[in-house]
Amino acid sequence: MLAVDALDLDVRRGEIYGFLGRNGAGKTTTIRMLLGLIRPTAGDVEVLGRRVRPGTTSSFARVGYLVETATAYPNLTVRENLDIQRRLTRAPRAAVAEVIELMRLGRLADRRARVLSLGNKQRLSLARALLHRPELLILDEPTNALDPAGIVEVRELLRSLAGEQGVTVFVSSHILTEIAHLVHRIGIMHEGRLFEELDRDQLRAKERLYVEVGVTEPARAATLLAAAGFAHVERADDRLRVYDAQGRVPELARVLVGAGLDITELTQAHEDLEKHFLRLTEGAK
Amino acid sequence: MTFAQVLATEFLKLHRSKVTWFSLAALSLGPVGIALMMWIVREPGRAAQLGLLGTKANLSGLTATWPAYFSMLTMVVGMGGMLLLAFVVAYVFGREYTQGTAKNLLALPVGRHWFALAKLMVAASWWAVLVVAVLVEGFVLGAALALPDFSATAAVGAVHDALLAAAIAYLLVPVVAWIAMLGRGYLPPLGFALAMLLLGDVFSHTGWAAWFPWSIVPLLIGAIGKPATTVAASSLIVVALTFLAGIAATIAQLRWADNAQ
Repeated sequence: MLAVDALDLDVRRGEIYGFLGRNGAGKTTTIRMLLGLIRPTAGDVEVLGRRVRPGTTSSFARVGYLVETATAYPNLTVRENLDIQRRLTRAPRAAVAEVIELMRLGRLADRRARVLSLGNKQRLSLARALLHRPELLILDEPTNALDPAGIVEVRELLRSLAGEQGVTVFVSSHILTEIAHLVHRIGIMHEGRLFEELDRDQLRAKERLYVEVGVTEPARAATLLAAAGFAHVERADDRLRVYDAQGRVPELARVLVGAGLDITELTQAHEDLEKHFLRLTEGAK
Repeated sequence: MTFAQVLATEFLKLHRSKVTWFSLAALSLGPVGIALMMWIVREPGRAAQLGLLGTKANLSGLTATWPAYFSMLTMVVGMGGMLLLAFVVAYVFGREYTQGTAKNLLALPVGRHWFALAKLMVAASWWAVLVVAVLVEGFVLGAALALPDFSATAAVGAVHDALLAAAIAYLLVPVVAWIAMLGRGYLPPLGFALAMLLLGDVFSHTGWAAWFPWSIVPLLIGAIGKPATTVAASSLIVVALTFLAGIAATIAQLRWADNAQ
């Protein structure tokens, strides 16, 4: 199976790059290649200017990472798990206490990892990634299993690391809205290929306008609107979403009322980014 | 410096593991079992009264003496130890895959080969502790039973054989470590170790025991035929080559194999 194909991706220093794709799009495989955990069948991977090969060590003192599920040694405490990372990255002793504080793991520091909740295991894994103050963070779905407050906290942390300390963050997600307002650029991956790459401004411009119409007999209304030249009409429950209809709202109303239908609601709205992502990836099938 | 840090982390992992204490408990049951057997042989009447001797018990050929006790103690260290050591090594290597932590070790400023070597060294250290502990326990239990026919020569010979068997058993485990990484868990290496012990028995019947790595310990301690007085140079070469091949395969697996965990 071809998991990732012809991927050409550049991440600039100091930026937060969102790597978006549905489950199975090839995000984790790409991250594994970035970390030298698997080898690309062709092509090269460079991290912090150095080529990554299996067993490479040269760049990894400056890289922190979290791949897929959060894991830790279950019979060791949070502090001991972090101490292992400290020794392996040659970080100073104080780094353990600092990262425990940063990730709010203080009250759990002497608990064994096996008793942690999923969310706290995720915090421990993030702490492991951050412990040695890396220049580059490669995070695969870092907010998995976190509660809403934890998600906001991680988002703020990443923003502050990039903004104040110049850390480059490469973060994957399958939820566009979760990272859309955090990232400087976003790459949308689909079926192993980089489908679209956008900066923040382009991303905002993609939020399409549509007119939401509450109407009796929505199926008949959709047919009438299509016949009247409204090219993109979608059913959303008992309503219709009519795209690219700005400036044609009076005409739209006339078509429906003229056919004897009652309009119960007529509002203009922005398409949310998630919808854009779904439309892109569904259209690409 | 790097290796010292890796070694420290591996010792911490093993020290906090239940497997460490389980392996000590399991191997220390060996001397208890043979001491009990010696006592039954010496006092079958009392053993029968206590229900320790069934009606079909057959203890013919066994004598309650130090030489017989030493022979069985060497067998415990050699055969029991081979299996238990494989279990420890399967755990030390396989746990990283079973617990999903292998990926956390592979993109670090530490050469991957150091992990393989540190894990093998930790297993060696623990194996040394187990063997010494069991030998000491064996001597204490033998002395407590006041077994007859003790001689310093026999004692030194038994310790020599047990240590040699333990060393040879250890030289076979890098292959087990490689299987643990290849199979990404505990079960494949344990299955492999069991299969090799069985194959060792098969080879003993075909006359190739001195050439098959997993037959050499049984050959030495008398689990196959009479105990060998020395290990043939060819057998030592076979074991040394198995050790080197196991280390090379383990390091290559860790360094080159894809880790899609």
